[in-house]
Parts: sequence; C-alpha cells; structure tokens
Amino acid sequence: MNDWLTQAENWAFILIALPMVLGAWRSVTSRNVVHSVLFLVITLAASAALFLLLGAEFVAWSVVLVYIGAVIVLFLFGIMITRAPLGMETELSHSNQTKLGAALVSGALFALITVAVITGFGETEIVSNPTRTSEIGQSMFERFVIPFEVVSVVLLAALIGGIVLARRDPAEPGDSSSSLGGAQSAHVTAEGGEA
Amino acid sequence: MPNQYFGDYITVLVFMAVGAIIVGGAVVAASLLAPNHPNKTKSEIYECGINPVGGGWSQSHIRYYIFALLFLIFDVEAIFIFPWALKVESFAEAGMGGFIFVEMVIFIVILLLGLVYAIRKGVLRWE
Amino acid sequence: MIDYHALAPELILAGTVMAVLIVDMLPVRKHWTAVVGLLGLFATVVPILTLGFCESLDFCDYSGSREMFGGSYVIDAFSLALKGLFIGSAFVAVLLSVGYLESNRFWQGEFYFLMLASVLGALVMASSRDLVTMFVGLELVTGPTFLMAGWRKGEARSNEAALKFFIIGVLSAAVLLFGMSLVYGVTGELTFTGIRAGSVGVLDGDLSGLFIIGVLFTILGFAFKVSAVPFHFWTPDTYEGAPTPVTAYLSVISKTAGFVGLLAICYLAFGEVTTLWGTGLWVLAALSMTVGNLIALRQTNVVRLLGYSSIAQGGFILVPFGAAIAADVTGSDLEEAFFATVTYLVIYAFMNLGAFGVVIAVGNRLRSAEIKDWAGLFSYAPGLATMLGLFFFSLAGIPPLAGWFAKFVMFRSVLASGSGWAGALAVVAAVNSVIAFYYYSKVVVSAFMEKVPDGVPVAEIREQRTAPSLQFALVLTTIGVVVIGFYPTLISGLAEAAKTFASGF
Repeated sequence: MNDWLTQAENWAFILIALPMVLGAWRSVTSRNVVHSVLFLVITLAASAALFLLLGAEFVAWSVVLVYIGAVIVLFLFGIMITRAPLGMETELSHSNQTKLGAALVSGALFALITVAVITGFGETEIVSNPTRTSEIGQSMFERFVIPFEVVSVVLLAALIGGIVLARRDPAEPGDSSSSLGGAQSAHVTAEGGEA
Repeated sequence: MPNQYFGDYITVLVFMAVGAIIVGGAVVAASLLAPNHPNKTKSEIYECGINPVGGGWSQSHIRYYIFALLFLIFDVEAIFIFPWALKVESFAEAGMGGFIFVEMVIFIVILLLGLVYAIRKGVLRWE
Repeated sequence: MIDYHALAPELILAGTVMAVLIVDMLPVRKHWTAVVGLLGLFATVVPILTLGFCESLDFCDYSGSREMFGGSYVIDAFSLALKGLFIGSAFVAVLLSVGYLESNRFWQGEFYFLMLASVLGALVMASSRDLVTMFVGLELVTGPTFLMAGWRKGEARSNEAALKFFIIGVLSAAVLLFGMSLVYGVTGELTFTGIRAGSVGVLDGDLSGLFIIGVLFTILGFAFKVSAVPFHFWTPDTYEGAPTPVTAYLSVISKTAGFVGLLAICYLAFGEVTTLWGTGLWVLAALSMTVGNLIALRQTNVVRLLGYSSIAQGGFILVPFGAAIAADVTGSDLEEAFFATVTYLVIYAFMNLGAFGVVIAVGNRLRSAEIKDWAGLFSYAPGLATMLGLFFFSLAGIPPLAGWFAKFVMFRSVLASGSGWAGALAVVAAVNSVIAFYYYSKVVVSAFMEKVPDGVPVAEIREQRTAPSLQFALVLTTIGVVVIGFYPTLISGLAEAAKTFASGF
C-alpha cells in the first residue's frame, strides 16, 4: 500500500476518480434534469483525464470535443424543447421498487466486472505507453479505410433522418421541393427569448 | 517517450493551475473587498426593467435542436480530420498522397451533401 | 492495393445512396428517387454476378476468396451469396414502400436514402472479418432503421415503436461494444482469425473471466439484433407501430444482417471456445421457436402475428447451429449447417416479404390489420387472398411451396449431425412447426371460408387497385416461393457458399 502511494500516477488517479464517481452518482440521483446533465460533464471530463493518464490522447480529446462539446449541448436542447418544465418533476422519479431493481442489476454487473478485472490483472503494473494520434491515423488509413468511409455514411444518415424527424412538416411533404421548407409560419410556441 | 508525454501534460496542468489561481484569487479578493448588502430586488431575474413573468424555464423551439444536431455531426467529422492531418505528409512521402487525399475528400463530400440538403430544404432558414 | 472489382457492389450502392439524396434535392417528382434507387440496386447485382462467376469470365483474373486490408474485409462465395440476398430483398422492400409512402404523404426521398444506406451497411457486414468493420457496418444497418420506424411522425404508435427500438438498439450496441472491447483487450487482436488464434488456451489463464464476459456480451448484443428470445421484447411493438414496409425491412434484411454477424463472429472469432456459446445457441433456438410460436397463437393482429412468427422463424434459422454445436460437429462437416441456414434465410426473405406485401395491400383497403376484419377476404379480393394463402402456407412449411424446402434442409442438417441433443432440438422444431401451422392456417381459413364482417365496404374495395410497384413485388415474391418450392435445385448453388465458409472454420 505504501508502495502504491509513492507513485505520482496513483495520486493523479485518485484525484481524477473521486470527482468522476461523485459526478456519476449525482447525475443519477439529482432531481433536476439539467443538474444531471451538468454532473455528467464532470464525469465525462474525468474520464477524458483518465484516458490521458493511460496515454490514449486521441480518445481523451475526442471525449472532450464530441461529448462535452456537442453531446451535452444536444442533451440540454433536448431538455429545453420538451413542453413542461421538467425541473423538479416528481413523475420522473421512479418507485422504490424500480430503484431497487436497477440498483441490483447495476450492482451485480459492477461486482462481476470487478471480480473479472481483479482476477485477470491483479497486481499487474500498467506500463504507460502513450498512443500518439498519428499512430491512429496510420492504422485508420492502412487497415480501416472501409469503416472510415462507412462512418461518414452513418453520420449523413443520422443527419438527414434527424432533420426529417425533428423538423415541422410542411403542408404537402409529398410535393416537389418548391413547397418544401416554405411552410406556414403561423405557429405559436413559447420561445425562450427576452426583450 | 512516456516521460516526454507526461511532461507535456504537466506543463498544461501547471498552466491550468496558474489560470485557476488568478481567477479564483480575483473572486476571493473581490468578495473580501467589495461591500455586501443583499436584498430581494437585487436577486431577481433581470428583464429590462419589467417585472419578470412566469418561471425561468420556458420551452424553446425545435429549430435550435436541428442546429445542435448539425453541430454534433460536423464535430464528429472534425475529430476524424485530426489523425488524417497528422498522416498526410508521411503518406505523401510513401507515394500514397493521392490515395489519402481522395479518401478524405470523399469523407467530407459525403457529409457536405448533408449540409447542402439542409440548406436546400430550408431547415436552416430562420423564419 | 485496393481491389475495385471486389468492392464494386459497395461502391455502386454507395453511389446510389448519394444519387437518391441528390435527386431528392432536384425539383423533380419524388417518385424518381425510388426509380433511381431501384436502378442502382439493379446495377449492384452486376458486379456481384461477375464476382460470383469469376472463373468463367475472361476479364476476371482472380478466383476463390479475395482478402483486403490484412484480412479485415473478405469477398468470398459466402459473402457474395448474402450480398445477393440483401440486394434482392432490398429491391422488393423498396417496391413495397413506393405505394405505401405515396398514399400517405410521407417524406419519400429521405426514406429511400435511409433504406439504401442501411442496405449498404448489410453489404459491409457480409464481408467484414474484424470487430471494427463489423460494428460500423452494424451501426449503419440499424441507425437508419430507428429513424424509419418513426416515419409516421404524427402517430403515437409509430413514435413508441421508434423509441422502444432506439433504446433497446442503443443498449444492445453498448453491450456489444463493451463485449468487443473486452475481447480485443484480452486477445490483442481485431481480426476474427487473430482473435481465434489469440484465444487458444485463454480459458485456462487469468484472463478467462474477462474473456468469458466479452464473448457473452458480444453474443448478447447480436441476440438483441436478431430478436432471439429472451431478447425479443422490442419486436412486436416496433413491428406493429412502424410503417409496414419498414417492418418488412426489419424482419428480413436487418434480421438477416444480425444473423450474418452472429455466425461470422461465433464461428470465425470464437471458434476455439465453443463451450462458451454452444449451449447458448441451442437454448436461444429452442426458446425463440417455442415462445415466439406460443405467443403468436394468441395474436389478433396480423402484423403482430407476423412479428412473433418472425421471432419463431429466427429460432428455426438458429437450429442447424444449435444442433451442430451440440453434436460437436466441426470443420467441413459444418457445410450442411451453413447450407441449411443460408437456404433458410433466402427462402425466408421471399416468403416474409411476400406476406408483408399482402398485409400492405390488404391493409391499404381495409385500414385494419385485425384478423377478424380480414374474414371473407377471398370473396371480394380473390387474388390477394390466394397470395395470402401461398405465403402463409409457405411460412408454415407446406409442400410444394418454398418454405417446405427450407424446413427440409433444416431438419436434414440436424439429423445428419445425429446426437441426443440435436435430436431433442429436432423434436422441439417439429412440435413448433405444427403449432405454427395452426395459427397460419387459422388466418387463411378465416380469409377463405368465413363471412365478410359487417361494415366492410366490399363494393368500394373491389374498385381499388393495388399500386403497380406493389403488384410487381408480389409477383416477384410469389414466383420465388412457387418456383423454389418446385425446383429447389435452383438455389443449390448456395452449397458452394456454405463450403467456402465452413472450410474456413
């Protein structure tokens, strides 16, 4: 144990892991959805820091850019476009029975993975061997050219489908494109703008 | 190599710590020096001098969501450009510059098609 | 460097996907998007054929399987057969969609774009032989289907279908990805052959726990995709709420893609650790057949009935493998099992797409998919009723329709492997065939024999015509079901495909 504490990496790990666990715990237990999302930011930031500690630079910065930068924004917009103020809604809270079930399942999964990891690696010391982003680029364009191009189609499909589902239907969706988009604008929605 | 790697990030860490100290110090100093007389009107939401109506939580329009979606998609696209940018030179030296360039052009053109679609269908127009 | 001939099917289809989107942006009538999509699918068949019959062509200088990117992407007879199946089914699925979309003022161009993008993912999956390519391919298959399931935007049912499908789909993708990451972590390899080599003796080592979790989670992820019992909860609600052409698509193409991924991973990557998943496949097959059929018995809605029946059919598709593993069949003896499964998948595609075609045609007239409203269908729509009988009896496995041959090769492969457990599975399958016959024939009998219920506007329905595209799709599938039933030798070429895959094992 003493040995363990003398290493700087382990202190860094503790400093990262504590807020991570705390953020995860609060994002599940928080009664305000927006607070949940903000606690999730802490967890994601901490997991990015863990990736950095493990030498996975590219993954770490992807988490920061994509998850903290974009997905969280999408979450917040998703919450904001729902009709009722979800702030302290009690309907969202689950019954104790559901909570117990969820706790049992996640606890069992946690125990299973922990036992497997500890028996698997035990005292093994992690040899820090950073993977630089250029190495990822190398394998991306040598071995994984097809998945790389397929990803662009996945993103495009998500974009087009998301637009279709999220946008307001014009009067005649089946018509030629001239009428598309020029939809009727007489709609009343409470927009979040002030004077 | 590992020490070089962590050394780089320790520089970043020190930089962040200095930034935090400066900002935190300013805040602490301000709270120590500034006069403090709280009252109810001061802590109300500011709305151009009009009395605020309703809660602070109102529904926003779904068009914001489409912009967030576009942002997310192109953010993910940008992520893929970094490893590419680091490798273009060495691929070009190995005589595969055309290949790696075309791959990225295809990738970007496919996604640009999505942007063209959004513009063409008028979802980016602010009505 | 890159073998463009081998990649031609994917490249042409990718081009078609983009072309559909571009045509959708042009100021032309929307049905041109469907036309472009169909032409593109048709063009995709050409390279599949030239690759398949490479030996007898002058300009083609390869033979056997072609490997690319260090064995990550393989084009062999097995993947070509499946690509042909995907393209053919997609052709019918697009035909099924045309009339449906036009009759209800849906977004059309985007729909075909999403459907073809999903088919592109299925093509990639058929060839992928590593975890990354397989996962990205699977995401491309499922991603667009979440969106298509919610295409009836205004209706709560459709929203529910899409939401349930999305949540379960994302959960299963997460489980799958976690399993894959553990497998990669333990073996240090991404290609299936590498994983297989790296997993020798891993069960005796310290890492056995992590590897077992990895393998089980990977298989669990795929079990969700193919909606095998007990991972089937999303299926009936999604099938009922989604637009019917999407349901047809889900039950055939997306499901087949799931089976392809499951089989490739099980046999190519986890071939050394059959003890981990062999019994699992047996149980999944037996449960899917039994539970699917028993719940289908009680359904009053045709779409839900077909939903549960497709769960049960998924069980039948797994039977040859459950049996082969139980009997410890390995190596080239697996040929029979692979032949049975590929044959079953091809025939299943024909009959299920046909059945959904009939559901779309009748549903469009009656505005109802309740079995009791379908009574007496024969008296006012004899053509559709006959086809309903054809497809349902084929699904039940009545000779001389194609479904009979599918069941025949399935039982033959089980009995060929010949062990007690295989025999037990054969008994379960036989009992289930009888149950299935009962509920399929119940619908058909009601459509032919019973009186038309009150309130059905018979005269009006007589006037209505089926959309030409739907007629074409029904004719295609009917021909398939009847011709394969009479001349099963037509698809015996698939045996070749089975051989190449089994020899890799």
